[in-house]
Amino acid sequence: MRSKILLIARSEYLRRILTKGFLIALLLAPLGLVLVFALPILVTTLSPSDEAERRVAVLDESGRLYEAVAEAMPERFVTEPADAPLDSLRARVLDERLDLAVVLPASLLEGEGEATALSRSGGGLSQYDDVRGAVREAVRNVRLADVGATDEVTAVFAERPSVRSVTVTESGDAADGAFLATGIGYMSGLIIYMLVFIYGSLVMRGVIEEKQNRIVEVIASSVRPFELLMGKVLGIGAVGLTQIIAWVALGAGALTVMGPLLGAASGPPDVPVPQGAPPPDLPFDISAVAALMTPGFLIVLVLCFLGGYLFYAALFAAVGSAVEQESDAQTLSLPVTLPAVIPMLFLFPILDQPDSVLSTVLSILPPFSTVILPVRIAVVDVPLWQTLLALGLLAAAFVGAIWVAARIYRVGILSYGKKPTLADLWRWLRTA
Amino acid sequence: MTPVLVLDNVTKKYGQTVAVDGVSFRAEPGRLFGLLGPNGAGKSSTIRMITYITTPDSGTVTLGGEPVGPSTQQRMGYLPEERGLYKKMKVGEQLVYLAQLKGMDTAGAEASVRKWLDRFGASDWFGKRVDELSKGMQQKVQFVSTVAHDPDLYIFDEPFSGLDPINADVLQETVLDLRDRGKTVLFASHRMEQVERLCDDLCLISQGRVVLRGTLREVKARYGRDTATVEWDGPADWVGRLADAGGVRVLSQTDGRAELRLVSAGPNDVLERAIADGAEVLQFGLHAPPLTEIFRTAVEEGVQA
Repeated sequence: MRSKILLIARSEYLRRILTKGFLIALLLAPLGLVLVFALPILVTTLSPSDEAERRVAVLDESGRLYEAVAEAMPERFVTEPADAPLDSLRARVLDERLDLAVVLPASLLEGEGEATALSRSGGGLSQYDDVRGAVREAVRNVRLADVGATDEVTAVFAERPSVRSVTVTESGDAADGAFLATGIGYMSGLIIYMLVFIYGSLVMRGVIEEKQNRIVEVIASSVRPFELLMGKVLGIGAVGLTQIIAWVALGAGALTVMGPLLGAASGPPDVPVPQGAPPPDLPFDISAVAALMTPGFLIVLVLCFLGGYLFYAALFAAVGSAVEQESDAQTLSLPVTLPAVIPMLFLFPILDQPDSVLSTVLSILPPFSTVILPVRIAVVDVPLWQTLLALGLLAAAFVGAIWVAARIYRVGILSYGKKPTLADLWRWLRTA
Repeated sequence: MTPVLVLDNVTKKYGQTVAVDGVSFRAEPGRLFGLLGPNGAGKSSTIRMITYITTPDSGTVTLGGEPVGPSTQQRMGYLPEERGLYKKMKVGEQLVYLAQLKGMDTAGAEASVRKWLDRFGASDWFGKRVDELSKGMQQKVQFVSTVAHDPDLYIFDEPFSGLDPINADVLQETVLDLRDRGKTVLFASHRMEQVERLCDDLCLISQGRVVLRGTLREVKARYGRDTATVEWDGPADWVGRLADAGGVRVLSQTDGRAELRLVSAGPNDVLERAIADGAEVLQFGLHAPPLTEIFRTAVEEGVQA
């Protein structure tokens, strides 16, 4: 019996892996992923000057702030002292002769009042930040000068000490841990969700195809339905595993190639990198990624994929066995797809508070654990007992799912004619 | 061990519907067994139990004395009425795979598949994808998948449907050859002329029950020579008159030829009527009714019973 399952799994595996489609998906998917993540970085780093110049009029009611504000404003703001009252400034902003009008009341220098920035459309968060920063800096510097502060004191106030987030692990410390961990956690959850879904529906499509072209009758006269089900599920699962392993390998390769490239792109574009110089700073620390990608994490990742895949693929196969064409599977597969989507809805709350009760429960409870457990492990230290409990429950869940699926499948593959309802599936499940 | 197939009082229900109701028969090696019945009579349900795709609610199915199960599945070849293959797979790869599922090793499977493809003049299909082949070619491929693992019991469900006469002849030759090699062949059909031409034994089921069973000779003998074939020149209206009077039933009639089942009229009545009405009788013969007619009578009697 085992050899039949292996025989079927082998055929299912080879049939899929030796196709152009698989190779293309294998290469294109990570490329797409890299693009999705790299493009925004490239766009923001390569095009700082794409912002058009902005004409700014500054109505300085104190009479002493204009110079300081003009100096503190980023380059793209072309400032001029306002020579008109507020009303006419407002009119000029409205008819687009001005992009921005900044009104600085005299009370600012007494530590009261507030500046006003007039623009047609708010101008975006970064414009607001720029204006606010410039006004604050100008007011501070003028007031410091008023109280007779030395240059040293002024310099102290201008300082911006930064905070470096470092993740501590057994194998060494790495910088920027918190951001990276969240990113990696999010990616892991997303990838597992996608793969489980893609390969689960591949199983469903395979089952429907066999039923549609009637070969299932021939196969059922050679092997037990359970063997066919398991062979198919395992064979397609192996394709998914191959894909993951290939992606990890590709990813490691891409990281070493793309990393420096991204680094170069994010540096000042007009400064040539001298030969033999140390590699430019990366947007992220490779050693930090390596520190997070521990063997333990990768093992949990693979186990979660396998567990989740077995759980959903078996149920997808049961749904597929009941219908004769894919379009009929929609309503029947709802009870399967719905629980798969739920963890994705909780992904952000969980990334935000990985140790909350909700996060802990979802990371242990199958089938949600398939997505949530790796996410949590990436972000926080999950106690070993929780990981083991989650994996144990997941194993129990997929054994249960396969049991349920096999009972439905065995009746479903031989049923033609009327479209079965969920109630029919329930009846099949209960008949001996 | 002779691979005799025995069904003993087999019953199968689907919900409230009784698909197969106490069916018993024996299919012997070296003979061609015809399982007949109208659509929905329970042929496919019966075959599914023989092939261990489903199991009976009661009764037993044995092959060579062994209850059917995973082990007997390996010794059966099954060609279902609804044909199907993996469309994207290559012919050779697919046939080898299907033979492996029947327990053959890779080398043995490949040798056998090549041998059978050669026999059908289809050696160069081995590397072709199934969906590149015509419908008729796909049927041959499916036939090979039924026989490649050299089983003891062959089950062909409407094997010649959809085949052109030339290909049908080739397959028919092969089926008869299997029988002559001492295999047990079960042939399910509702095409009576094929059954009449090929089968040694037959079992007719209707509404899940056996209504007629025996060798072809026995079955025909049971009805005696109650059918007349007449060929004549001249007017033809005597046939209609005879039938209207309830003397005969017209089984078939063409210009100058009629096959008549004798109901109340005797052979002499028929001849007299024809001659009296001015027909010049060229030929007159008495024989057993054709199987189609036996089939109809048996089903009608079965329904009444």
